Amino acid sequence: MGRLDALKGFGVTFRTLLTKPVTIGYPEHKTPVYPRFRGRHRLWLHDDGLEKCVGCSLCAAACPADCIRVVAEENTPEHRVSAGERYARIYEINMARCIFCGYCEIACPFDAITLEHSYELSEYTREALIYTKDVLLEPAPKQPPLHPNVPGGPIPPGEA
Amino acid sequence: MSEPDEAPVIITINGQAVEARKGAMLVDAAKAVGVEIPVFCYEPRLGKPIGACRMCLVEVEGMRGLQTACSTPVARDMVVNTTSDQVKDAQNGVLELLLANHPLDCPVCDKGGECPLQDRTFQFGPGETRILEPKNHFPKPLDLSPLVALDRERCIACFRCVRFSEDVAEDGQLTFHERGDSTEIATFSGEPYEGRFTGNTIDLCPVGALTSNPYRFVSRPWDIKNAPSICAGCSVGCNLEITERDGEIKRVTGRPDPNMAVEEGWICDRGRWAFPALTAGDRLVMPEIVDQVGRRHVRIERAVGDAGAILRRSGIRVAFLLGTPVTVEDGFLALELSHLLDDAPVARLGVSDDGLGPLRALPGAQMHDMDGADVIVMVGGDPSSQQPVTELRLRKARRNGARVAMVGPRPTALDGNTAEALRTVPGRLGDAMDVVAERLLGSSRAIVLWDECDLAAEPVAADALARLVASTPGARAIELAADVSGPGLRALGIPATGVLEQIEAGEVDVLITVKADPTTGPGGTRWAAALNQVPTVIALSTHRSPIVDLAAIAIPVLYGLEEAGTLVSMAGRAQRLRPGAIGPEGAAAAWEVLVGLSHRMGQPLPDRTAAQAFDRMAKRFPAFSGLTCTDLGLLGAPIAAGTGGPAAPARRAEGEGLALVVSTPVFGDATAHRSDALDCVREETHLGLCPAEADRLGVSGSTHVRVTTPFASVLLPLVEDHRLHEAGAYLVLGDPASMAATLLPADRGPVCAVISAPVAQEVGA
Repeated sequence: MGRLDALKGFGVTFRTLLTKPVTIGYPEHKTPVYPRFRGRHRLWLHDDGLEKCVGCSLCAAACPADCIRVVAEENTPEHRVSAGERYARIYEINMARCIFCGYCEIACPFDAITLEHSYELSEYTREALIYTKDVLLEPAPKQPPLHPNVPGGPIPPGEA
Repeated sequence: MSEPDEAPVIITINGQAVEARKGAMLVDAAKAVGVEIPVFCYEPRLGKPIGACRMCLVEVEGMRGLQTACSTPVARDMVVNTTSDQVKDAQNGVLELLLANHPLDCPVCDKGGECPLQDRTFQFGPGETRILEPKNHFPKPLDLSPLVALDRERCIACFRCVRFSEDVAEDGQLTFHERGDSTEIATFSGEPYEGRFTGNTIDLCPVGALTSNPYRFVSRPWDIKNAPSICAGCSVGCNLEITERDGEIKRVTGRPDPNMAVEEGWICDRGRWAFPALTAGDRLVMPEIVDQVGRRHVRIERAVGDAGAILRRSGIRVAFLLGTPVTVEDGFLALELSHLLDDAPVARLGVSDDGLGPLRALPGAQMHDMDGADVIVMVGGDPSSQQPVTELRLRKARRNGARVAMVGPRPTALDGNTAEALRTVPGRLGDAMDVVAERLLGSSRAIVLWDECDLAAEPVAADALARLVASTPGARAIELAADVSGPGLRALGIPATGVLEQIEAGEVDVLITVKADPTTGPGGTRWAAALNQVPTVIALSTHRSPIVDLAAIAIPVLYGLEEAGTLVSMAGRAQRLRPGAIGPEGAAAAWEVLVGLSHRMGQPLPDRTAAQAFDRMAKRFPAFSGLTCTDLGLLGAPIAAGTGGPAAPARRAEGEGLALVVSTPVFGDATAHRSDALDCVREETHLGLCPAEADRLGVSGSTHVRVTTPFASVLLPLVEDHRLHEAGAYLVLGDPASMAATLLPADRGPVCAVISAPVAQEVGA
């Protein structure tokens, strides 16, 4: 190892000293995500307010972590919840077990469930980590910014 | 039927030489060597193939066009190709057309995930369709009955359900309306499709067209666990599959791999939809004890501990009473406990064995032996209502060419179209023995079905029948056993008598009942009086009943569908129950409670599982000798036949008036009454009279009658039926709460009843 090599190494050090830091002041500033980032789940409604989910349980079948539980029931004319014959009376995701693989989203034949960008999912109790249908039907409360490399939305790090 | 010694034929399937039985269909020959030919309509249990779905098209060299493999029998040197381009093209085309009007609503459909149409489409289908025209639409679902829902859009017109209705159940209720793509399943006049076997059409349907209403949207195939078990509803011992989700039984179906020796995969609607009774409101879920504080709930450990403490007291005289459905293991462990308790008496609630010995010593047959019988004679009983699946076996035997005769006092569903009805005078079965002899004459493979209750009431007729069968070459007998536990407990030598008399003599301090409630059954009044003399009753019960309210300690136990154990069918076949669900949290299996009691008594029995208890029992009792739990496997095994017993003298019917002809339909028992799914097909307690006799008694036209025997007097709904014999009063036992069974003596012997018009205020309400 010669003297030149040491200089090379210091070169990297001094060059880096002069660049802008990449540290993000979380939680005041959120880490940006890419569009296909898989975070908190969301269940979607049709435009007429009916649930897209028909309680088919295919998401539960696809789930490798076995964290989705669906109990279906029949729609009646008086109590119509979804667009199909059946709807999910119980739709629960155990976020403590979820590995955010997105298979549920792929399995869903009605695009009723998607994985959104929200990743701040800590809770104080295990019970609170079981997301029920009413929780999942709400849009995520805290949406992180999109990554600057995404066309149409460059947001400089640390400024979101 | 083809002879077994016929030489097999050699054919070539996909270049592979295959040996096949002469007359076998190509589908089966291919299946035997692992070549799958897709089918929808083919189902050998439904009789001859009809080639309706065209899914099984294959190429046979030398034959023009493609052939349906399900209806083409093998022939010598046949060369078959199931994978050629032409066949693939045909399979694609057939599936494309089958799906032309299919709504593809798989995510909503109950069949989704266990659907042959889905599977075949994935495996053999085209993947896409060229048909852009709008599909047929019907309002859905259409309720064929309160139990069976029909989705006409999904139907592929395979005819399986219609063939079941026409050729197996022979009720002829289902048919196809219209033609072409408007074809739809319907009943003839739009009446609901109700019967005893309707649920089998759901199992048969290869698509989601016929689905179960009680199971509608309850679960999907990947959310459930299935367990193969046995029905504890009647003594036929049909093999079932239990579906569990979240710890509860959600569905009962016939086994996908049926037990061809017993039920052939057909089960009755009572067996299929009785499971809601397990979660009925009166299910006993927590043990109860009575102490200084009064009646209160305790944990099961405490209840068993208290019971054990009582049994540990010295000088205590204990008796055991076993009801239904009690497994062989329960009976064995009750016997074991009784040995620890100075040989305490153990009895079962049921028909006394007196006089039935000669019949039980006859060579026995299994249910499937009826298929090859030339003559079948039923003596007494009404299998269609008391052992329903026997009816399907009898109808099949008749289609196979057997002459079937029904000798007995009751009109049955088999009369006319299946069985020659030879009506006897109530209480006089003995008079019909020459008729039976005439039918058996010249037969070589006869099977005689005899009813336990009816022949126990007439020991002389039983003896005569036994001699008749014994003297007929090749004739065998099957007992139409009255209850599901009887054959198994009898094999252990547990009698149906003794305990009541001992209680009345004041010789019992502690009575332990296992799933038995004698107060609502035969001799109920006498039992109720006797039970008041027992200082301590320990009741092991599945549901709340009068004896639970009477008991000092009530321990909830598991029902047949929830427990492990062994039941012996009426044809003497030991079959394993496997737990389909865990049952209530405060409950345990009866055998477990009995073992627990022995531990608390300080003399622990070694059994830790029902299987261990069975193996230990098999070594002890000759009926089960040589059998182990493993031997029973999924399909069970016949146990050794009994050695019989002596004939008994004639019995005189007690009381005066009309001879009481009693039926206990399984569609009317306590479990059927607890299941709300069976609302539409449940049988209610009533008294049947011939209109002429009703007229003579002055009760014609009234809704209710008072029925009085020396044992009880009960007000019952009256049904007038011209098919009934005028010398009998036909008592149909439904809900035990009606107390109608208390009209009978405790040993279910013959009895006569006085029928009178009710007093005005009785029916006013």
